[in-house]
Amino acid sequence: MRHLYIHVPFCARRCVYCDFAIAVRKRIPAHRYVRAVLREYECRSSRESWDDKPLETLYLGGGTPSLLPPNHVAELVCFLRDSEQGSTPVTDHEITLEANPNDVTPVAAAAWARAGVNRVSLGVQSFHAAVLKWMHRTHEADASGRAVRLLRDAGIRSVSLDLIFALPEELHHSVRNDLLRALELEPDHLSVYGLTVEPRTPLARWVSRGASCPPGDARFEDEFLLADEVLTTAGFEHYEVSNYARPNHHSKHNTAYWRRRPYVGLGPSAHSFGNGERSWNLDQWVAYQQAVAVNGDPTAARERLAMVQRRLEELYLGLRTTEGVPVNRFATWPTPLGQAAAQRGWLRVSDQRVRLTPLGWLRLDSIVQFLTTCDEGG
Amino acid sequence: MARRDRGGEDTREAGIRRYILPMRLDHIRNFCIVAHIDHGKSTLADRLIEATGSLEKRQMRDQVLDTMDIERERGITIKLNAVRMQYTATNGYAYELNLIDTPGHVDFTYEVSRSLNACEGAVLVVDASQGIQAQTVSNLLLALDANLEIIPVLNKIDLPAAEPARRVGELRELIGAAESDILQLSAKEGTGIQDLLEAIVHRVPPPSGDPQAPLRALIFDSYYDRYRGAIPSIRVVDGRIVKGMEIAFGSHPQHRYEVAEVGYLQLAQRPIESLDAGEVGYVVANIRGVKETRVGDTVLDANQRAASMLPGYRDIHSMVFAGLYPTDANQYEVLRDALEKLQLNDASLQYEPESSVALGFGFRCGFLGLLHMDIVRERLEREWDLDLITTVPNVEYHVHRTDGTVVVVENPSTMPTGAAVDRVEEPYIKARITAPADYIGAIMQLGQERRGEYLDMQYLDPSRVEFEWQFPLAEIILDFYDRLKTVTRGYGSMDYEFSGYRRGELVRLDMLINGDPVDAFSMVIHRDRAHEWGRKMADRLKELIPRQLFEVVIQAAIGSRVIARQTVRQLRKNVTAKCYGGDVTRKRKLLEKQRAGKKRMKQVGTVEIPQEAFLAVLQVDKQ
Repeated sequence: MRHLYIHVPFCARRCVYCDFAIAVRKRIPAHRYVRAVLREYECRSSRESWDDKPLETLYLGGGTPSLLPPNHVAELVCFLRDSEQGSTPVTDHEITLEANPNDVTPVAAAAWARAGVNRVSLGVQSFHAAVLKWMHRTHEADASGRAVRLLRDAGIRSVSLDLIFALPEELHHSVRNDLLRALELEPDHLSVYGLTVEPRTPLARWVSRGASCPPGDARFEDEFLLADEVLTTAGFEHYEVSNYARPNHHSKHNTAYWRRRPYVGLGPSAHSFGNGERSWNLDQWVAYQQAVAVNGDPTAARERLAMVQRRLEELYLGLRTTEGVPVNRFATWPTPLGQAAAQRGWLRVSDQRVRLTPLGWLRLDSIVQFLTTCDEGG
Repeated sequence: MARRDRGGEDTREAGIRRYILPMRLDHIRNFCIVAHIDHGKSTLADRLIEATGSLEKRQMRDQVLDTMDIERERGITIKLNAVRMQYTATNGYAYELNLIDTPGHVDFTYEVSRSLNACEGAVLVVDASQGIQAQTVSNLLLALDANLEIIPVLNKIDLPAAEPARRVGELRELIGAAESDILQLSAKEGTGIQDLLEAIVHRVPPPSGDPQAPLRALIFDSYYDRYRGAIPSIRVVDGRIVKGMEIAFGSHPQHRYEVAEVGYLQLAQRPIESLDAGEVGYVVANIRGVKETRVGDTVLDANQRAASMLPGYRDIHSMVFAGLYPTDANQYEVLRDALEKLQLNDASLQYEPESSVALGFGFRCGFLGLLHMDIVRERLEREWDLDLITTVPNVEYHVHRTDGTVVVVENPSTMPTGAAVDRVEEPYIKARITAPADYIGAIMQLGQERRGEYLDMQYLDPSRVEFEWQFPLAEIILDFYDRLKTVTRGYGSMDYEFSGYRRGELVRLDMLINGDPVDAFSMVIHRDRAHEWGRKMADRLKELIPRQLFEVVIQAAIGSRVIARQTVRQLRKNVTAKCYGGDVTRKRKLLEKQRAGKKRMKQVGTVEIPQEAFLAVLQVDKQ
């Protein structure tokens, strides 16, 4: 399998904006977790449909994968890497670990690097102490700088930082400040996410009772465009709605998602895609664990994509990145709506591909709706 | 009656047969009950049916004459029906009483007049607490037009708020009845019912008519049965109608129909051999739709045609028009079939295909009035599971051109404008409004707001008045009745009749979205009110059109002159940040959900207009 994702569901605390299937634990059941994931892997990889191409990317996401003791991370990574290297191993494979800055210690960083982890995505979010406290993050403002240095020292090739913008008014958050602080750490990659108020989160409850005031779309736009300006000026390519990279540091794993390449996700709530079918695992750790123990199959549901669904995916995933989508993807082009969008600087057409600009990305969902509506002649 | 030889049933069958043998004319009484809505007409009918033993207790549902669900829910009668009762009077003779039901709403004045014409007497019911109302008077006038013997009745005398003495005074004044002629009863409690039955026998004249003459029968109602076709309810005036004979109708005499069945109604159809002069019943003759059995038409013997038709037949004329469009364009065919089927049962519904830039394919429909429109719409939605958009109802305008030609406009967006138009005429109605005298000021004001022309006012008693106004029909079709109820705290009532076409200072007001007129929003309006309407409409649309990818400019315009403008700012952000851990499905489902929402929007150019916006036009004045 070329692309593997491992979901590590454990967190020390839930962040205010998070509606994800996580398991908040003081003590991580690391051993049981690794056994369960490897058992799921063994069952699935023994099926005929398993793709035996050599591993190109492995991604440990969460949750907080860095909460797993380093030896368990190493066990997982080494086992999967060795099992999936195939007859002609890929030399430039990408192995990413998502980490909380606090969890990056000299010992851990060295162990990760030894196991083959060559990319770490750090959940920095912000350098403002008040913002981190508000979010219920467990790290301090200065932990991120320290973590980056330790990762460099351990020889991690690619370091990515997660930042957040469009924070509620009451935090008086300066995005520019956070961006500049992040640049000082000389990361290879940045993910800059706009805060989304998801239902059934602490944040949503605060907003509904007026205790928190999410920004209007004008400020969202301002901050989004500010990040684009600051980071591209600093030499980063804005290559996806929320992602920036220095040359040769694009996330290969995420790019596989956007290109609709097949991938397998292991662990609770992990998603898989292949042969025109998407499937996902039970999202609760306990239920997942039981299902794996019973028959090695923790699949919660699967869906076969209809033609119209496939095309919708192609469009909105393709338009997320600078790769865009081929013009011949549309029954007719240009459409009046496409022209109107181009006039406003939301999209460009070159090399027979339609690509969105940052202004277009801000309106991605609406533009996709419009383009698909036209496509179906409706 | 070949089954007659079956032993055991002989006696009983013979007994029944004797019972239903043609009555002599002087033992038949045909009557109706006229009342204002909610004055207890249906309850009274129930009591009469019960008291004459015309159906068993277990068959009784309350208000048995109202057969359709919608009628029951709204508490009004929209469909005519009849019931035959046998009553043995105190004089020892048996009488056949035919109670003919009448619809109780202004939209159906013509139908009311036809069912009144099938009777010789009318029981005029007045609520002892509420007194005479607009509809009481309108229906009374119709009954008098039909030369009916009026039996005035005060109902609900059991209510604490009843004021019998005062109401008796009102009634005496209204119809000049002697106090002793006015019956007092409580249909709910069942008191006074016997007296009423006696009064019907003794005061309502027996039908006149010639049993020997060629058949002439009046159609006073008609409905469509899926298996047996259109079934008219008739009152035989002359001659007789017999199973197996060939009949024809006065309005399309070339068609002949063989009578498959005749009978009378006693909540169910009771087949008999014939209906004779003076009798009331129904006919089954394999008639395709109610279009062929128009209310007011005359049924003839196809082989021995009467020399003249019964008087009063009139073609249907729609008063109110609106476009009906399926929300989902794929439902167009369903809507077309539904209208076709509905018309089988509702000859007053007219429709023709129409297309709208904004709404796609639909139908322009003509209705007798607003209530009729509501009923049709509700039946379409309920019985055919359709989701419909209704455009603003409008009246029919006559546009006189400078070249002397007249254009009849049923759809405002097609109204000619400019120099070629000499004048525009619109329909007027004469309205009768009654209300407590406390609300004279409020009604005067409402009347003026609606371009009313005050004609007259009379005191019905020291505390209640009756107005006469002329109104442009267009001013009352939207929400006049609601407004009247509001300004009179529910005490006002109204009735109206068409009174002719008159010239008006009318203009066509268009709503433009990003410069393009949206036909479904166009309306014809009085010049003086156009500015206010245009401004309110633009404000309302601004509220209802969500922010979207492109800026939306809303304009109200008369011809090329813009009179109001609003802008819906463009959406500056609509993107979901991230696909967590390869979860593409979640995001796609979100998009699919949004798309489903979009399907409920109508796209005009680059702008999506939600359905509610098309309904908003109906509510512009309510703010």
